Amino acid sequence: MAVYSLRRILWESYPTLVLCAAISLSAGLILDSQMESIKVFPLILAMVPPINGINNNVCSILGARLASALHMGTVEPKLGKQKVLRKNTRATWLMSIGVFWFTSAIFFVMALITGMGLARSIMLMFAFFAASMVAIAVTMLCTIGLAFLSYAKGLDPDNVVIPIVTSVGDVVGVTCLIISIKIVMRV
Amino acid sequence: MSRELSVKAIVIQGLSILLLCAIIEILAGNVFEGMKEHLTIMLPGLVLAIPPLLDLRGNINGALASRLGTALNTGVIEPKLSMSAELKVNIISSIILSFLASATIGLLSVGVGALFGITSISVLRIVTIAIVAGVVSGVILAAITVVVSIFAYVRGWDPDNVTAPLMATVGDFLTMLSIFLVAVLVV
Repeated sequence: MAVYSLRRILWESYPTLVLCAAISLSAGLILDSQMESIKVFPLILAMVPPINGINNNVCSILGARLASALHMGTVEPKLGKQKVLRKNTRATWLMSIGVFWFTSAIFFVMALITGMGLARSIMLMFAFFAASMVAIAVTMLCTIGLAFLSYAKGLDPDNVVIPIVTSVGDVVGVTCLIISIKIVMRV
Repeated sequence: MSRELSVKAIVIQGLSILLLCAIIEILAGNVFEGMKEHLTIMLPGLVLAIPPLLDLRGNINGALASRLGTALNTGVIEPKLSMSAELKVNIISSIILSFLASATIGLLSVGVGALFGITSISVLRIVTIAIVAGVVSGVILAAITVVVSIFAYVRGWDPDNVTAPLMATVGDFLTMLSIFLVAVLVV
């Protein structure tokens, strides 16, 4: 007997994928509305895949870990007195700080090489790092909330949390990035 | 069986893969920035479809990677590179999903664009770019996912922590590259 059915995979995945696409489309709309700033400062585009991609990766790892922990019963769907949840959250924070610091440093070097000047390159690095920290905080809260909610509703967090969190993360990432760049770089 | 959850272990394992992902995401970002002329002048409206297309690739291949991880762990698929029926269903479904969902994203972005009064290139062009980029990157990614999943299983990597983030990131880069190439051809 076949374990996987083509029909079932398609039927179960398509609606989720379209819902996620619709959420991600808002990130596209935000980018489109900022085309004037992008023309002046195209580095915004270069920063979109890293902030979204890394944010999504970090929260997908957290989502997968929480899903497994909820299934095993080491995490319960509530916020207080949760050792495992606290450890997971702390690990996620440390990873985010490490990877975004690294990415910000690369943007600093890129900006310096392309002749942006030391002061503006440092500001750019700061803008990216600040945006990523706010984005990761918001997306992490969404991940924990969605994991608990889906588990409490009897849905499998494995199938629901990661796709939705990555789409929400796209919108949060693009929003934080544009606000931060606009404030710090004044474009 | 209570294995003590170590923050240090999660961070070390997670960070090494995330730093690699960060570098690949920055490459994807550079491709995105390289498209600035296309996005602002030649192909207005296309930017709407880009976050959902990137997100779609991550979702389809993340799901493929996690299904393969489960299938390998439960022995449904053997860790060797031969086309079993189970493997075939998984790959074919991911390619059909790429086609259907990319077409939907193309249509959605034109529809939403029209709703917000965004001047855009024709429906036909956006849908063509979405489908060709989606399917081309989907086929390449499906092949890479299978190879990486089997390799990861043999090496004993955790599919949740390693394969899924890695595939999502490689997916971002390949999708960005495909969108760029198709957009250049269409112009």
